[in-house]
Formats: sequence, C-alpha cells, structure tokens
Amino acid sequence: MELETLLQYKWGIMIPEFIILGVATILSLIDLFMPSEKDRRLLGWFAFAGVMVALISLVGLLPVEVTSILEDTFRLDSFAKAFKFILLAGAALVILLAMDYQPAEGIRYRGEFYYLFLTALLGAMMMASSGDLITLFVGLELLSISSYILVGLRKKHVRSNESAMKYVINGGISTAITLFGMSYVFGLTGTTNLKDIAGRLSAIIDMGQQYLLALALLMLFVGLSFKLASAPFHMWAPDVYQGAPTPVTAFLSVVSKTAGFVIVLRLMIYMFSGTPAEGTNSSSMLLSMQDYIAFLAGATMIIGNTIALKQRNVKRMLAYSSIAHAGYLLVGFVTMSMFIVDSIWFYLVAYLLMNLGAFAILQVMTDKSDSEDISQFAGLYHRSPLVAVAMGIFILSLAGIPGTAGFIGKVNIFLGAFVTEPAHYVLAAVMIATTVISYVYYFGILTQMFFRPAVEQTPMKLPLGVMIVVIFCAIGTIVFGIIPSIAYDFLNQFEHFGDFFS
Amino acid sequence: MMENAWIIPLFPLFSFLILLVVGKRLKESSAYIGILLTFISFVYSVMVLFDRLNAPTLKAEQVWLTVGTIKLTAGFEVNQLNALMLVVVSLVSFLVHIYSKGYMHGDERFPVFYAYLGLFTFAMLGLVISPNLLQTYIFWELVGLGSFLLIGFYFYKEEAKAAAKKAFIMTRIGDVGLLIGMILLFWEIRSFEYADIFAAVQAGKVSETMITLSAILIFIGAVGKSGQFPLHTWLPDAMEGPTPVSALIHAATMVAAGVYLVATLFPLYEASHIAMLTVAIVGGFTAIFAASIGLVQTDIKRVLAYSTVSQLGYMMLALGSAGYVAGVFHLMTHAFFKALLFLAAGSVIHAVHTQDIEKMGGIWKKMPITAPLFLIGTLAISGVPLFSGFFSKDEILVAAWTHGHTVLFWLAVAAAFFTAFYMFRLFFLVFTGEARGDVKEVHESPFVMTLPMIVLGILSVVAGYVNTPWFGTFLGDWLTEGTDMHAHHEAPSWIMIVATAVSLLGILLAWLMYGKKSLSRDWLSSRTSIFYHVLLNKYYIDEFYQLTVVYAAKVVSLLLKYIDRFIVEGAASAVAVLTQGVGKAGARLQNGQVQMYGAVTIIGLAALVAILALTGGYL
Repeated sequence: MELETLLQYKWGIMIPEFIILGVATILSLIDLFMPSEKDRRLLGWFAFAGVMVALISLVGLLPVEVTSILEDTFRLDSFAKAFKFILLAGAALVILLAMDYQPAEGIRYRGEFYYLFLTALLGAMMMASSGDLITLFVGLELLSISSYILVGLRKKHVRSNESAMKYVINGGISTAITLFGMSYVFGLTGTTNLKDIAGRLSAIIDMGQQYLLALALLMLFVGLSFKLASAPFHMWAPDVYQGAPTPVTAFLSVVSKTAGFVIVLRLMIYMFSGTPAEGTNSSSMLLSMQDYIAFLAGATMIIGNTIALKQRNVKRMLAYSSIAHAGYLLVGFVTMSMFIVDSIWFYLVAYLLMNLGAFAILQVMTDKSDSEDISQFAGLYHRSPLVAVAMGIFILSLAGIPGTAGFIGKVNIFLGAFVTEPAHYVLAAVMIATTVISYVYYFGILTQMFFRPAVEQTPMKLPLGVMIVVIFCAIGTIVFGIIPSIAYDFLNQFEHFGDFFS
Repeated sequence: MMENAWIIPLFPLFSFLILLVVGKRLKESSAYIGILLTFISFVYSVMVLFDRLNAPTLKAEQVWLTVGTIKLTAGFEVNQLNALMLVVVSLVSFLVHIYSKGYMHGDERFPVFYAYLGLFTFAMLGLVISPNLLQTYIFWELVGLGSFLLIGFYFYKEEAKAAAKKAFIMTRIGDVGLLIGMILLFWEIRSFEYADIFAAVQAGKVSETMITLSAILIFIGAVGKSGQFPLHTWLPDAMEGPTPVSALIHAATMVAAGVYLVATLFPLYEASHIAMLTVAIVGGFTAIFAASIGLVQTDIKRVLAYSTVSQLGYMMLALGSAGYVAGVFHLMTHAFFKALLFLAAGSVIHAVHTQDIEKMGGIWKKMPITAPLFLIGTLAISGVPLFSGFFSKDEILVAAWTHGHTVLFWLAVAAAFFTAFYMFRLFFLVFTGEARGDVKEVHESPFVMTLPMIVLGILSVVAGYVNTPWFGTFLGDWLTEGTDMHAHHEAPSWIMIVATAVSLLGILLAWLMYGKKSLSRDWLSSRTSIFYHVLLNKYYIDEFYQLTVVYAAKVVSLLLKYIDRFIVEGAASAVAVLTQGVGKAGARLQNGQVQMYGAVTIIGLAALVAILALTGGYL
C-alpha cells in the first residue's frame, strides 16, 4: 500500500478511536514514569475526560454519511455510531466507579486499571465498526485480553486470581470455536471481507455447502455466546463476576456484553440473512436456523432466572440476572423483526443504566465489609433512604416494572415476538414466565432494604464518582421509563439502520 | 400560563416525594411543605382559568409509546371543564391541607398523612387534565389508590381496614366496566384520544349499538367511583377515614370523578339515547334512594355521606337529561358546600369526640364560628333561595323537566324535600336544644381549622351567582362556548317556586320535630315502623349483598378452594418444585471447576450439531 493511498483515506471517521488510543498510550507512559507512591486518581479523571471527548467527537460524526476506509475493513455506519454511544457511555461510568474502588487490601496497579479499560473499550469500538473478519477478530481479542488482566487485577486476592484463570481458559475455548467457525466461512468464500462474504454466500445453492454453512453459523454463535454470557457458554459468568473487582464486573456485564451483541448482530445479519436455504420454506439461512437460537434464548432465560433463586451472594445473583437479560436480548434477536436493532439498542441502554447503577451501589456496600451476602442490604432504607430508593429503582427496572426503562425495553422485545410472522408464542411465554420467576430474587433485595432492621446504623456515604453514576443512572432509568420517545427520537435519525448493507 | 398547565399536578407530587423522604425528620412541620406546594398549584390553576376565559382550548401531546402503527400519546388539555375542575380541586385540596394542620395535630403518622394527601391531589389533578382515556384510566386508578390509603389511614381500627378494602373492591367492580368500555372504544376507533372518539362518533363511524354498549360500560366505572346505586355502599363506610379526607376525597373531588368522566365524554353519551336514559334513571333513583336513607341515620358523617351519594345522583340526573351545564354547575357548588359541611362536622367531632348526633346538642353558643358556617352549608344544600345550591339544583330540575323526564323530575323534587328535612334534622340535633352528651369541655376549633371553613362558607353563598336565571348565565355560556349545547333551558317559572316550597317545607317539618319539638320525634317512625326500619338498615342493601353476592361467592369459593387445593395448588407447587429443581440442578452443575464449564459448552455445541445432522440440515 502506498503512502499516497493511505493519506487519501478519510481518517476523520476514526477520531473517537484515535482519541481513546491516544489517551491509553499517554496514560501508560505517565503511569510508567510517575513515582509509585503518587496518587493515581488524577489519571482516572484523565481517562474519563478522554472518553468524554471521544463521545463528543462521536456526536460530531453523527451527520457523516456511511463511509468505509482501509479497503472496507473499517466502516462508520448508523449501526456503528449507535452502539459506540452505549460503549463509550458505559466505559465512562465504569471508570468513575473504578476511581472510587477501594478493596480492603488496596490496589497496587491503579494506573493499569484505567488504561486497560480504555484498550478494552478500543477493542469493542473496533468491533462495532469492522467490516472484515480480521479486524473483527482483532477487536474481539483486544477486548478479551484486556478483560482477562482486569479480572485478575487484585493480585493478592485468591478469588480474583481464580476468576482470571477461569476467564482466560474459557475465553480460549471460545476463541477456538469462533475461529473454527470463521475458517469454514473463509473456506467457502475465500475472503475475509464481510461484504464480499455476503455477496458470495448469497450465490451458494449447493446443499452440501449450505450444510457446512449451517455448521459454521452454529459454531460462530456458540463461540460468541461467551461474550454474551448466554447458554451454552454462560457458566464462567458467575465465578468470574464474583471474583473480579466490582467495576470490572460492571464492565463485563455491560460494555463487554454490548460488544458481544454488536458482533453477533453484525456477523449474523451480514453473513446469513441473505444466504439462501434450499429445501426449506424460509427465505434465508438465518431464518431457517431461527429455532436453534430461539432454543438457546429460552434455555438462557430459564437457567439465568432459576439458578439466581438459589443465590445469597448479590454479585453472583446479578451474574445470573445478567445471563437472564442476555436471554431477553436474544429473544429480540430471534424475532428478526423490522425493528430488531432498535429494540436491542434500547434494551442495552436500559440495561446499562439499571445494571451499572445497581453495581455502583453494590460496590460501596461490599467494599468495606468484604461480604457480598444479601443481608448486607438489610435496613438500607433506614440507614440511607435515598440510596435505598435509588437501588429500588434499579431493581424494579431490572425486574421490568412499569415506569422504568427496563419495562419499556421488555415490552418492545415482547411485542416484537408477536408482530413477526410466524409469531414466537412459546418464546414469549417463556419470557413472561421467567420474568415472573425473577421477581422472587429481585424483590428479595427490596425486602431486605425496606423491611429488615439495619445491622448497623451509620448512614452510607457515596463517594463522588459513585454518586455521579447513581444519580445519572437513576434519572436515566426513570426518564426512559416514562418518556421513551426521547430515545426513539434519537434512534429515528438512523432510519432503522437502513445503511447496514450499503 | 396554559401551555405550562402540565406543571400543576407536579407540585403535590413533589410534596408527596419530599415528605416520603424527609417527612420523619420534619414531623408536624411537614404540613407547611404540603400547604405551600398545593397553594402554588392553586394559584397556577387560577391563572390558567383566567387564561382560558379568553383563549381557545389548548392541547399538547407527545408520543409516549409506538406499537406497530398505533401511537399512544401522553399530554394534557385545558378546556373549559378541566380549567374549572383544576381550580375546584386545587382549592379544596389547599383548604383541606390547612385544616388538617389543626385536625391531625398530635397524630403519630402526621407526615404520612400529608404525603398521602399530596399523592391524592397529584392523581386528581392529573386526572382532570388528561386528554385521552388511557391516561385518564391510569390516574383514575391512582386516585383510587390514594383513597384506599387514606380511608385505611387508621389501619389499627378493624372498621377502617374493612372500609378501605370495601371501597377498593367496590370501585374496582366499576373499573372493570370502565376498562372493557375503554378497550371496546379503542377496538372500534383505534385511538384513546377524546377528540378522535368524538370525531368518529359524530362522523357516524361507530355503530349505535357499540356507542351505547361502551357508554354504558364506562358509566359503570362512573357508578363505582361516584357511589351511585347499586355500587354506593362503600361510600358511607369510607367515613372511617379522617374527616378532612372525607371532605376532600369523598365529598368534593374523587367521588365527583365519575360525574366528571361522564361530562367529559358527554358527546359520546349524547349520541346514544339509551345511554343517556340509563344515566338519568340511575342518577334520579340514587338521588331519592340515598336521601331517604339519610332521613334516619344517626352518625353525623354517615348522614353527610348519604347526602353526598344523593347529590351525586342529582348530577348524574342532570347529565342524563342533557343538562351538561346543570351537572357541572352542581358539581362545583356541591364541592364547596359539601366540603364545608364535612369540615364543620370535623370541627364538631374534634370538639365533642363523638360522631353520634344523639349525644350532641346545644353547642350553638359554644362553637360561634363552626355553627353558623354549618348552617350556611345546610341552607345551601337544602336549596334555600339565594344560596349556591339553590341555583344549581334549580338548573337540574329545569333540565329534567324540559327533557321530558316527568317521573324523574318529581322524584328529584321529593329528594329535595328529603334533603332539606334530614339536613335540618341534623342541624337541630347537633346545635340546638339541650346537651344530651358530655359537652362541657366543648371549645371552638383553632384558627387553622376555622379559616378554611370561612373561605368555603363564603363560596357556598356566592358560587351560585356565576350562573343564575336573574343575573346572567356566565358559567353556562362559557362552558358551552363552541358547542351546540344550550347554556340554559327556558323553563316555566313554577319549577323554581315548587323547589323553594319543598325545601322550606322540609325545613319547617324538621323544625317542628327537632327544633320546637311540637311534633313528637317518633311521630313519623312509629306510624311507619316497617318503613323506618328499612331505612335505618339502608334498604338492607349490605345484607342483600351479604346474602346473595357474598354468600354465592362463598359457595363458589368453597368449591374453588377444593379445586385450588388439589389441582391448582398441586400444579403450582409442582411448578415451584420444578423451578427450584432446575435451579438446584443448575447450581450443582456450577461446581467451580473450569473443566466442567468447558465441557458443558462443547457438549452444548455438539448437541446442536448433532440435531443439525439428524434433521438433515434444518429444523
């Protein structure tokens, strides 16, 4: 490639990624030369500011038409823009949480805390924008490897080490399966470019080749379900969530999961929605394989919600709840309605708000006592009523009670399951039934907070960063619950992501 | 002002939220927050009303939820009717907030009381500015919740608990009708908007049967809320709540919501002759029926409760007789004089610590402010000329007569006679004659309680003059502006004379029996003892329900209990066991060993691939 062609590319569309990359690089250098006893708090604010600037630059990119550079490997379309908002916002909030994270034994490598979040975020953003299997995979691995280190950041903490180990091993399996699936696709098409792949796959009419393709689809989906924490690749989640530092858990359950849905949507819709499926009534490969994904979605909802019933450790409980929410989101994916991306996007936003809010409060609750038992929440209302009310809002939203963003998101997905042809009655029924089951463990937390006597009377003080996160998330949860049209007005500019294939 | 009218309900909501959080710390100074915020609402409402006098109707909406092609909207509307309602509701609420400062003094759950008042006021104000049926329904239920919480405020009293439950269930029966009616309309018209509904009805897009059916179903909701026969029994029981609550919710505002709903949907009712007739008959019957029960009750609040039921019947009769203006007019005047009567009654109860009128008497001199104010309220409700109730009741009688409901007209006249009689019976027994109970310690209530009563007393006199046949029908003209309804029906002048005569006759009879005592008290009851007992037992309606509905329900419930125990419960526990079993099995699988996790994934993938292979490619 010549210099001239390189310079011709519109590098402007990568500004948010460049900012994150720059900030991460600078942070790592500062951290290296900074005396080790110096307070690293300022670095956190610097990282936060960097994400904010990237967010603003992304707003500036909103009017830009769909553009792709670097031989179609990096593309900026509505899909990429919309999901980068979630990724950036989630990362910004997580960095705020990380600044106030004070485990009992302290954290030695606080600087790394911040820039590893940034590199992970960079990987996720690359995934959102990639138009090529290679960049997609590199983004995925950048996200994964950063996360592995983050999970094990409490070096002296046995649990944290165990989690990191489990996470790496499971991640390895996931990568292997994903790559295996990708190799099938490459073998059938001879290219890694998504657009070319889509073009060539649509021409495949040989039954044998289609069979191989169906295998590839299954393997890709199972491999990627690691990131979603959905069945059958969900089992790592509770152990890793429990052992990881709380901000990292929050990151895994929100940003990493969002990235997982980004890649699933991108790959599945791009590669398989236009691929013919001979010998069936369905018009495309993706539709003919719908039942497999529906089955996995149902299993995910059932597993997540029923096992959560047994948990007394709140972090584990939220891990299972996170699995359950992946199931709800997959219902949105299975329905393949016109508004599939819109409804998943909205649900992820709602999920980001309510889940990060809950983790923020959980972090402060468990920091001091090193116990994550549900009884920690006992009498919270009498200790600090406002914190309890905020937590109540998050829990109600997670449970999907009207008036909260979680409800609107769930209704959207639920209705989506009915309006498509054929309607997915069974899946919708499973969704309702498991939602009802989820009330049991969600309301268990509410009961503890509001109706149990407090163990200690001292009011709970929220540090500044956590406070900002809690207030932001609580307001967002309520606002999107009462006037969801704000979010939909924002989505309207993307015109149902019509430029996805262009 | 008008474009910001949506902010009016928010002030009481803030009051509710603030008191919820800091109420415990504020103790009795919670009252100031409630009073201040409702006062702001009131001032704002008055400004909106003045704006509306010169400006056209304003409606602002935003899409709230999009489901397929149907857009559900949320917003607010300021038309003549709800501008008027805003002022009435916020004013009465504001006065009750002040009054409660004195009445609830010393109660342990004082801040909670004010928080509930805020919640109720928010819901009621939200109800009156709703521009569509769905939003109305949401607030309608919220108002019911506020009422439930406040009736059961003294939850340690068994009666209060039972009354709260009864009120909730009885109104819920009506609400089912409302919900079905609402859904039917939505089915037909594909919109909850009032404007769309009226347009579709006027354009003849909806069949006559459908209009009648949905109008009557919605009316059932109104029957429940406004305590009309046969769903009226909860309202007298609701008197177990604190008296300020009775004044606010069960006299002036919430119970009028049913009337308001029918008034709002008036174009829908007008399109169906049968629906109109139903409203008129139910209203007229309730008016005489409740008034007759009121004749013999001995609990001061229950007498007032039955009179409320009866007056609400009048309003329904007016609406059913195409007397839109008359109904709304009476709604307004009634809100003032009935709130006054309840607050004055509360003041009396506060002083003598009993609600039994047989144990009162002779406190006219001891309560020099409460007593004359109660008299004003009594004169107003009895329809004595020059007081507000006289004008609005006259309008209703005129409407019934000109619409050709001769029987209902004479029933209403009889009810007016009853009303005058039992209200003055109440007045004479409570304030005049000898003291029958222990009333030595009786003192006038503090200023915070008398001030709201004085304001309402003035309004009970002057509120009628906004719409009189003598000085002009301002209210009527304004309310019917831009519609083809008549502001005032020309009527034979003898109606007014008859109305005056029966009310004076009722007062005279009451005076003879209870004031001057020249007629023995049991002169009437001994002669008609069967009838007397029927009345005393409120026509045995509660017993009737007990014997039929409740008994039948019990039999069915017994039957269901066995089905429930052996079939449903079995199934339910099976589901529970299954759910827990899955949970347990899943948790056991989660043994913390990473090999297991990898194995599950691989086995899962292998199973999927195997299914793919077995099914020859696709499912």
